[in-house]
Amino acid sequence: MLLNKNKVIVACAGSGKTTGIVKEALKLGKQRVLITTYTNENLDQIETFLIEKTGCIPANITVQSWFSFLLQEGVRPYQNQKTERGRVESIFFIKNTKDAGKLKENLRYIPELKDSHYLTEKNYIYDDKVSKFIYKCDNRSKGLISKRLEKIYGSIFIDELQDFAGYDLNLLEILFNSHINILAVVDPRQATFSTNTAQKNRQYRKSEIYLWLSGEKSKNKIIIEEINNCYRCNQQICDFADKLFPDLPQTVSKNTRLTGHDGIFYISSKEVNAYISSYNPRILRYSKKTKTLGFCAINIGLSKGRTYDRVLIFPTKPMLEYLKTKELSKAGDKTKLYVAVTRARYSVAFVVD
Amino acid sequence: MTMIKKIFIQNYKIFSRFDLELNSDLNIIVGDNEVGKSTILEGINLALTKRLNGRYAEYELTPYLFNRKCVDEYLKSIEEGNLSQLPKIIIELYFDENTELESLRGSMNTKKEDCIGIKLEIVFDEDYKEEYEKLLKKRSEIKLIPAEFYKVQWYSFANKSITLRSLPVRLSYIDATTIRLQSGADYYLQDIIKTDLDAKERVELNLAYRKLKELFSNQESIMGINNKLTNKKGAITDKSFSISIDISQKSNWETNLVPYLDDLPFQLIGGGEQSALKIMLALERKAEESNIILIEEPENHLSFSSMNILLEKIENKCKGKQIIIATHSAYVLNKLGLEHLILLRSNNNTATLKNLPSDTQNYFKKLSGYDTLRLVLAKKAILVEGPSDELIVKKAYLLKHNKLPIKNGVDVINVRGLSFSRFLDIARELETNVLVVTDNDGDYAKKVDEKYKDYRSFSNIKICRSKNNSAPTLEPQIVAENGQEVLNEIFGTSYENQESLKKYMESNKTECGLKIFETDRTIRFPKYIEDAIE
Repeated sequence: MLLNKNKVIVACAGSGKTTGIVKEALKLGKQRVLITTYTNENLDQIETFLIEKTGCIPANITVQSWFSFLLQEGVRPYQNQKTERGRVESIFFIKNTKDAGKLKENLRYIPELKDSHYLTEKNYIYDDKVSKFIYKCDNRSKGLISKRLEKIYGSIFIDELQDFAGYDLNLLEILFNSHINILAVVDPRQATFSTNTAQKNRQYRKSEIYLWLSGEKSKNKIIIEEINNCYRCNQQICDFADKLFPDLPQTVSKNTRLTGHDGIFYISSKEVNAYISSYNPRILRYSKKTKTLGFCAINIGLSKGRTYDRVLIFPTKPMLEYLKTKELSKAGDKTKLYVAVTRARYSVAFVVD
Repeated sequence: MTMIKKIFIQNYKIFSRFDLELNSDLNIIVGDNEVGKSTILEGINLALTKRLNGRYAEYELTPYLFNRKCVDEYLKSIEEGNLSQLPKIIIELYFDENTELESLRGSMNTKKEDCIGIKLEIVFDEDYKEEYEKLLKKRSEIKLIPAEFYKVQWYSFANKSITLRSLPVRLSYIDATTIRLQSGADYYLQDIIKTDLDAKERVELNLAYRKLKELFSNQESIMGINNKLTNKKGAITDKSFSISIDISQKSNWETNLVPYLDDLPFQLIGGGEQSALKIMLALERKAEESNIILIEEPENHLSFSSMNILLEKIENKCKGKQIIIATHSAYVLNKLGLEHLILLRSNNNTATLKNLPSDTQNYFKKLSGYDTLRLVLAKKAILVEGPSDELIVKKAYLLKHNKLPIKNGVDVINVRGLSFSRFLDIARELETNVLVVTDNDGDYAKKVDEKYKDYRSFSNIKICRSKNNSAPTLEPQIVAENGQEVLNEIFGTSYENQESLKKYMESNKTECGLKIFETDRTIRFPKYIEDAIE
């Protein structure tokens, strides 16, 4: 029974993961379903898909970010099984504070048994301790949290599983063992975020999540399905992207439309103006610090899940190095490059000088 | 269906810490004055609607909501110079299992119990920390809880904020003691009407009302007036000036439409009929919805026959609804069933009659006139079987203690030919101290001791009878004890022998009782009566 209950779909970019999840959720009729994911951008997309399909978010479907779900359904309902403190107000995002590094260093020495290991003075829970708190609290209360979730939800769907890390994975293991049906989609190549930076399960972080999934599969907790069809990018773009992850299966493009300007291109910064006026690409950059000759651009991380006809990428130094040498070890953040390239249907251009 | 299975109240009005378990159908709360009957209903209403006195609780916070004990403790510790925590009010409602409401489940209640439920807390608002610190500097001036620094928190047991939408419970609160007369339909009536209409009907009602208002301004006379007003332009303002009925969202039908009963506006009909109508409307609701109905003293303002009709309605329509009634009427209690009783005692304790034998329940349902409530509320009771017995027992008590029994909390109840055992069944369940003063009917062993043998093992029940079988009732007992001379003097009679005196007494029981009660002469009572008044 357990074998069929939990499914993880490993899929490449442009395979229609998010739409797939939404369609599956709509098939379930009256069953209560949670659709959750890490980023707000992706959450917006899920809501948009749902509204496009049905006009509104159906009453049986809850769309909630992973952190909001953890706080509302994980931390709060049984927090008094673990701490005497008052209501946990919200989540404290360490990286948004001034002295993030110093704070993290200080927190390291507070033992687990103390409330201050998890909570600020004003009862905010540290972002990297949220899932740990829930995991410990569920253990301590003999599974009250997971039993409650079983009563509320028939299914939990997770998009962008590659963003999950640390004790998130322990929570997923608990969910795998519950009565709830779990459907998760993951693209290890797109692991651009992590929900937290806890030490726990460090070895599985980002792309290595594939290792953890294989482990769960060998314990018969999940079945893994692979989708290597890409409905977005043409074959040239798929091939370029696949080379970034040679160990993973090759992608087959289902987009055969030709436009007269298809594939991967390299232009110099002098040509940018003319290129933009002829092809009107979406301009992508690594971060706010990347220089884009004054053109309006969006960060690669935020472009995740989006589809554009053409993109123009202002690469980072390591990306340039990779484009020149094709040596993966020099490519820096491969996942960001993968995401940027796989946004385009027809053409990808790099600004190289 | 949501049913409240348990309530916990802390520091609210009379309740310091109070637990109460409820039946899923009918609950009849009785108790002396000032033990908190109304406060229970008010508390349930507050926790389910966040409303107090018909307004949002935030606007109704006063120092007097707090329990005296916690206030005194707080003030005492402030006076002694300690910085003690401000007390908080908690009302928790624990619900029955309900798959629709699983998201309200959690252990965030005072008992740390994993349960579906909600809680309302009135707590110090940390935003007022500075102001409170200032106040603490002038400590001696603090005489009350500074309620202006408090806020109201409304959470599920999962510690999630509650909105009325997230709480699919229909509550009707009908308080017949204070019918509010306001312009238009009052809040409770509005609520009852609104929840009875479906969404389409509600839109239609609003639409029709708006049209009516538009029609008003199109009337010829109004148009004439408005033309005249428009000509005043410039005198007051450059904009054109006219009058019309307010059709903004704020003024909708609730504030201006009034329900009519036989052409009489609702607020002009009698209070009894108003509350009866509200109760009926609430009872008529569909059973699929979770319905909780709170009724405060339904007997108020109602004639006996109207009350009878209302009680029958409650009995027949209560299926699938949880009804909680606070009452002072034995009739209401008997009629709706003694098994539903929740007795509230003065020390925040409660008792029920769930194990009352069903034939006794039915007995009182049929003979609802008996004053069961008097026994239920009595601290100690002496049961007698007639008015003359009542008078004589009272007299004996007065002579012995220099006080009438009721002054010492002892209620002498005349059970009027009813079998004592019906009342003893109630006393047994409630553990009330009860003495029965009874005739031996010429055979104490058989007619008394044998008859009541089932009650002998209860230490709170005592049966007093005479072993003298030759004096089967009270009258011959009195004669045997005092002789004819004393009694002739008291009654103003001149019977020559005891036999004829006994006959006289037996045919004039009450009158003789009264004379004995009023006499200044010393009189002796049989031993079993002396035993009873010890």
